[in-house]
Amino acid sequence: MTQAASKLQAALQAGKFVVTGEIGPPKGTNVEPCLHEAEKYLKGAVVAVNVTDLQTAVMRVGSMVISRLLLERGMEPVFQMVCRDRNRLALQSDLLSAHVLGIRNVLALTGDHVALGDHRQAKCVFDLDSVGLLAAMSNLESGHDMGVDVKGNPNALDGAPRFFKGCCVTPCAEDLDMQIIKLEKKAAAGAQFVQTQAVYDPAAFEKFMNRIAHLKVPVLVGIVLLKSAGMAKYMNASVPGVTVPEPLIQRLTDASKDDREKVSVEICGELIRSMKHLCQGAHLMTLGWDHCVPDIIQAAGLA
Amino acid sequence: MRQVNLTSKDITENPSAATELTDREWAPCRYNCPVHADVRLYLEHIAQGRWRESIDTIRRHLPFAGVCGRVCHHPCEANCRRKDVDSAVAIRELKRFVAELQGASGATVHRAARQDKARVAIVGGGPAGMSGSLELAKLGYRPTVFERSPRAGGIPATAIPEYRLPRGVIQIDVDWICAHGVDLVTGTAIGRDKSVDQLRKEGFQAVLIATGLSSGKDIPIPGAPPDGVLGALEFLTDLGMGRRPRIGQDVLVIGGGNVAVDAARSAVRIGAGRVRMMCLETREEMPAFEWEQREAEEEGISFIHRRGPAEAITANGRMAGIKARRVTRVFDENKRFDPQYDDSDLIEAACDTLIIAIGQSPDYGFLNGSALRLDARGRLEYGPATCQTNVPDVFACGEIVTPPGSVVEACASGQRAARAMDMYLSGGHIVLDDSLPPFIGQIPTATAEKVRKVIRQPVAAQPPEVRRANSQEVDHTYVESAALREARRCMSCGAGAEVLVDKCAACLTCLRVCPFDIPVVTDVARIDSDRCQSCGICIAECPANAIVSRSLEAGWIARRTAAALEALRGAGPRIVVYLCGHTASAAQWRGEEQSSDGTAEVCLPSLSALSALDLLKAFENGADTVLVVTPQDSVERYPQAVKRLRKRLAQARKMLKEIGLKRTRIQLFELTRPSRTAVRETIAAAADQLRAGPIKPIGATR
Amino acid sequence: MIVGERKPMDEILAMLEPHRRVLVLGCGGCVTVCLSGGEKQADELASQLRLAARKKGRQLTVDVDCITRQCDREFVANLKCNPSDYDAVLSIACGAGVGFMSELYPQTPFLPGLNTTFYGACTANGIWQEYCYGCGDCVLAWTGGICPIARCSKGLINGACGGTNKGKCEVSSEMDCAWHLIYERLEAAGRLDELRKIRPPRDWRLDRSGGLRRLVHEELVDEEARK
Repeated sequence: MTQAASKLQAALQAGKFVVTGEIGPPKGTNVEPCLHEAEKYLKGAVVAVNVTDLQTAVMRVGSMVISRLLLERGMEPVFQMVCRDRNRLALQSDLLSAHVLGIRNVLALTGDHVALGDHRQAKCVFDLDSVGLLAAMSNLESGHDMGVDVKGNPNALDGAPRFFKGCCVTPCAEDLDMQIIKLEKKAAAGAQFVQTQAVYDPAAFEKFMNRIAHLKVPVLVGIVLLKSAGMAKYMNASVPGVTVPEPLIQRLTDASKDDREKVSVEICGELIRSMKHLCQGAHLMTLGWDHCVPDIIQAAGLA
Repeated sequence: MRQVNLTSKDITENPSAATELTDREWAPCRYNCPVHADVRLYLEHIAQGRWRESIDTIRRHLPFAGVCGRVCHHPCEANCRRKDVDSAVAIRELKRFVAELQGASGATVHRAARQDKARVAIVGGGPAGMSGSLELAKLGYRPTVFERSPRAGGIPATAIPEYRLPRGVIQIDVDWICAHGVDLVTGTAIGRDKSVDQLRKEGFQAVLIATGLSSGKDIPIPGAPPDGVLGALEFLTDLGMGRRPRIGQDVLVIGGGNVAVDAARSAVRIGAGRVRMMCLETREEMPAFEWEQREAEEEGISFIHRRGPAEAITANGRMAGIKARRVTRVFDENKRFDPQYDDSDLIEAACDTLIIAIGQSPDYGFLNGSALRLDARGRLEYGPATCQTNVPDVFACGEIVTPPGSVVEACASGQRAARAMDMYLSGGHIVLDDSLPPFIGQIPTATAEKVRKVIRQPVAAQPPEVRRANSQEVDHTYVESAALREARRCMSCGAGAEVLVDKCAACLTCLRVCPFDIPVVTDVARIDSDRCQSCGICIAECPANAIVSRSLEAGWIARRTAAALEALRGAGPRIVVYLCGHTASAAQWRGEEQSSDGTAEVCLPSLSALSALDLLKAFENGADTVLVVTPQDSVERYPQAVKRLRKRLAQARKMLKEIGLKRTRIQLFELTRPSRTAVRETIAAAADQLRAGPIKPIGATR
Repeated sequence: MIVGERKPMDEILAMLEPHRRVLVLGCGGCVTVCLSGGEKQADELASQLRLAARKKGRQLTVDVDCITRQCDREFVANLKCNPSDYDAVLSIACGAGVGFMSELYPQTPFLPGLNTTFYGACTANGIWQEYCYGCGDCVLAWTGGICPIARCSKGLINGACGGTNKGKCEVSSEMDCAWHLIYERLEAAGRLDELRKIRPPRDWRLDRSGGLRRLVHEELVDEEARK
């Protein structure tokens, strides 16, 4: 077995059930609050922390900077990279830069369309897609970039990076066949781990895991903390491939305002418990309720 | 359908290039009319209430408009394409309507500027001779018609009874012809009072023989007393002249043609107790018009078929009846008239008066004092190619030389001979071009099915018991509303859309909007003239301005609107009203632009021709508001037309809004009951409201 | 076929503000077929401009002309109105026509009356939809005829993103997800293996990014003219 590029990779290689968290950078230069939250609640509780890259096409501080700052505070980042905003030159360059800054875990994503965000007049780039980005990463690791020299040979790098390459999938998507074909391509292009979109249906997740057994990549099941019934309903209505079952919504509805957080944590813990045996980890998306992470880990029986 | 390939260059060089297409491909009504009158055009005039234009169009080809409006055998109707949709348009009735409406003074007289070419003499004042004389007058000659009887008019005047054709009607036609500079000399028989040779000496440079078939054929009835037998022509002429021929109570008419029926029905009217007809033919074979046979039957006349008279039966020296033998066949294998009898099969038919109506024959009195000859068959020597007799400056026309025919056929014959005479007198060879343009074919079933059905307007007739007793006209003419309704059934064959092939971008819009699925688009769009219903929808929608109308010049709506606005007086808001001129009950509408109530009204044959651009142009021409008044889709002539109209108005309103003008400047009224009152009230109410409200003129100054 | 849409009227009126004599020039090509720039539309636009000018009390003369196409120089011979006689020409051809004519008449401002939007086809009466992007490297052979560059909002080439929602695009529920369509088409044809292949990133040199593009048919090129 090759040497792990990161703690995340090492933990997965060791067969541990890993938990990752997620933070979103601020809109502005005031990075202290989000870093503080991460340090307070996530450090030591999760193996690595995802840093989102202009999620939903809203302009924010870049994920590379926050990832570096996490490293400086003793946490391991998962550097999320979308293909929407940069062409292949910038993406490869940023990958090299990230490596130089010590970042190893990279999650390659397509990225939401600018139409969803707050800069709707901007141009979408999508020079590469997620498959292309993974291939680009593998290529850089082999000591080359995507360009050619004057003789037409691929450029050789003066110092090759190393990454732990991740990708995303939607286990409960309507068009699951199409998702799986693409996942196969991502794996072929170099994906080494998978973080899924939110799953609330263990049975469906089991079916999904059976279907991709042949891929042999570790999967971290994604769970978005359900802060309220309203949020759950919104996800059902608007987020493709994510379905919150009715009983869970009911529990949130029935919960009193004071108990809501507690119920959320409970639900999260239960879900992890029920799916633990199917996958290699869980990816928690707490949407600002990072303080719940320790309790969730507790509730999941992972402490 | 003929491939026409009209281009915009053709139109630039000749703005009438599209409208002239109606002359290059004829509707079957025009094609089958012996004088090739522009039927479609005059029906469209009637449909729009343009009476004078209509009668002028009719008379341009047909001098005897009044006469034919009553007695024509209407081959136009027999070939009317509407018969494959519901029933033929009542063309003859409409012709009668407008001729009667316009009367003596309502038709324009187009006298030639000069009539200083040769003097020509016409012998015989019947339809053939009079039509020939009119043609010659228009060509610049000075014609003189010599008629032996006191009145011109020919057979119509002498032999067609009053109840079918009032004398006054004939006189209007004759007077109109003479108003073009034709001298009419009555009471003069050529061959008796003057001779052809004398005419030449008097300075006439050519003579046209048009004496027709003025005598009745006779057959011997062995044993018949002279006062018991009458010739039909003689009988009818006497009646026509106001003389009272003596007949008995039990009349038997021998003959199966129209003259026989005329004689029989006339006998009824002067009081004969029983009138019967005996003819060689079966009912189906009888040459008399079918409707004449029917009306005769209604008046109590019965028929004895397949019998010919053999000899008379007398009692006390007076006519008591005839013995009639059976006819075994009338026509031989070659369809020639050659009756065969079975003399052993005789019946007796009682009668006290026998009227012989077995055909007419010519009177050759005009031969006296001329070098004219008869041929081996005893007929005037005549060459149809040039209309000349054996004497080069003597021509012939009409039934004297053609097979027996109708009034309109006689007119055509006279016109043709006049053209021949013109060529002769101009010193050239006589080369008559009898070729005709192609005609619009049968309407395909798929198209016929989509045409909205409208029943043919019935003609009111006097009931048989009433008409037996008098000589008034049997048929009433249409009232105005019925005439408008009937004229609007015309499908305007061959006058529809034509593609300018150089401008067509094959965008398929015409194909997509046509309610009848007519355009075919390959390299360019082609619109089959056998199918096109002339709704004008494609013309209004074509983005390339690549479709033109064969009947209406481009821009006609804008021009009419400008004219109507020009005529507008008064200070209030300038309101343009577009009306559908073809709605059934708005039929009391006359088609002229009216500027009353301060509104400039423009009556269109169909609102489906009104484009969004037309609406904008109305404003450009000075309108402040445009009202569009339409019947609902269920009544509209063209399917989906109102739906399309709504879309166009919406488009025009959008275009107004874009430049800061209120959408409300265009208003649409869809009337459930488009009666004249409803239309008037709608317009008045809208106009009142507009005057009260703040509709500003567009721009400070005009 | 090139599809364009008439510019908003206030934009056109603003463009024409400094001019007093204007020629509206239609085109008999693509823009006639999509009813945005044909002679009829030129007539309508001219009528609107005159009415707008009258409303404002402005002096404005508007003439109309139309030629077969504005992207080939020979057709200008058919012009009835001379562009040089006008302060400006408001062309309602596509951008190619406006630009090309502008080169032929450098002294006369050629203003665009349309926004040229896409290459498309008529899907229903009165409705045109984008079908092609002009990317220069057509992939329709392995996408079952459905273009992911033109019809996928992100122009992806390896399958749908995670935003595909019940066959619709995350940008708008009225837009089909092109990859959903492609998947169904290929599945029906038994050709899903095409979808399994990893497609390398596109060569954008063939697209607009590579700079101005040209088509040359050597057999028609006049060598003398080239020199």
